[in-house]
Order: sequence, then structure tokens, then C-alpha cells
Amino acid sequence: MAIKKHKDCYFCANQLDVDYKDTRTLRRFVNFYMKMLPGSRTGVCAWHQRKLSMSIKRARIMALLSHTHK
Amino acid sequence: MSKTKKSEQNHYEMLFIIPNKFTEDEAKVQVSKVEELIASQGGEITYREYWGKKRLAYEIKQNHYGYYSLCEFDINRLAIAKIDNDLRLSKDVLRHQIVVTPVLSGEERARQKSLSEKLAVKKEDGEKKAKANEEEIKKTPSVVSEETNSSKELDEKMEGILSAQDLL
Repeated sequence: MAIKKHKDCYFCANQLDVDYKDTRTLRRFVNFYMKMLPGSRTGVCAWHQRKLSMSIKRARIMALLSHTHK
Repeated sequence: MSKTKKSEQNHYEMLFIIPNKFTEDEAKVQVSKVEELIASQGGEITYREYWGKKRLAYEIKQNHYGYYSLCEFDINRLAIAKIDNDLRLSKDVLRHQIVVTPVLSGEERARQKSLSEKLAVKKEDGEKKAKANEEEIKKTPSVVSEETNSSKELDEKMEGILSAQDLL
């Protein structure tokens, strides 16, 4: 969640697929209020940001992530 | 470039939640029932994963907990609608989600999992160090942190009460 100085895409750099079941990873890309963070802040590339937003929404539907902070 | 016809047989992944009204053993029976439903529509289950009882991120139909189960299967795409509808109407499945996924080999799956875990651990270590640094700088505990502690305790108590109610 931290603001990065030089931006590397987390998923490109680690050769990791975005997975809606992997909440620990998804949690890094939402803020305290469980809102998605922009790619410009997290350094995620546009291609992965699209996958990421889809995955976060899927995780929310399955009650793996909450929609808001309680 | 030749246009190839989309194959009728596709690979899907489904995650579903069994409500907390069942016991652990009954939930497993319900899982096998769902798998039977897939098989009855001509699906071939290639991968199963039972996550067990987990706390839901938010309440669904007065349920705070649910049994998560994951399965991957190959099936004709026309049969998906039937499975989707049946599970939607079923009261024994709290929620389900069917997703098209690439076919992963066992090795690739293991690699992804271990990698994401490794990265998570790495991140937690980093946070711990950062916290330790902050505490060194502060050294004087503020009133605010005490408040958060007590609210945390309250949260834990609430969770205990809620889970006790669920067991009834």
C-alpha cells in the first residue's frame, strides 16, 4: 500500500498471476476503507490493474474482502 | 490466420459457500452433492480444494461463517447455465461464483502459491521492522493507542459472542 518512488509492477516483477482468492495480496492494493488504489499510486501496470480490479470485485462478491471498512 | 471455432468444452473454476447451519461433516456432504450436480451435467472435476470454515467478510443472510469449497472442472459451456441456476435456487449453497480459468499444471499452481505466501511473509517482516522503528521514535505510549487496544479487545469479545451464537 505504500507509495513507491520508482514504480515496478508488482505482478510483472514477481511473475505472479492476479488471483481473486489470494486476499493477502489483494489487500495491498486497497486502502483502509477497502477502496481500490489507483495504479499510479501502487505502480501496477495498466494490464494488471484491469485484472486486479476484476479480482477485487470477485473477492468482494464471495465475502473474501469487505466492500467497506466495518 | 485461420479462425478456429471456439471449443464447446471449457475449463471453469467455481468457489461456493455452504451456510453455517450445517456441521463440518454435513457441509462435506453438501460439497459432494454440488460435485454430483456438476458430474450429472457431464462435467469432469479436475481439481478440488476444501478451505473449511471461514469468517465471512460481511454478513450474508444472518451468516457470519461459511464453509468454502473450490473446484475446477471441464464442462460443455451450455451446461453452465443449468448448474448456475440450480445453485442459485438452492438453499444449501449460500453463494457461488463460476469463473473461466486457464488450465494450470500442478507445478505452476504450487509455484504461484508459495510465491504469494513468501511475498506476504516478506511484507509482514518489513511492517514489523517499520513498527519497531516507530515505537523507538515515540517511546511514550499515547492515550490514542490505549483506546485502540480496548476497542480491539471489544472486537474480540464481540467475535466470541457471535461465534457462540452461530453454534447454537
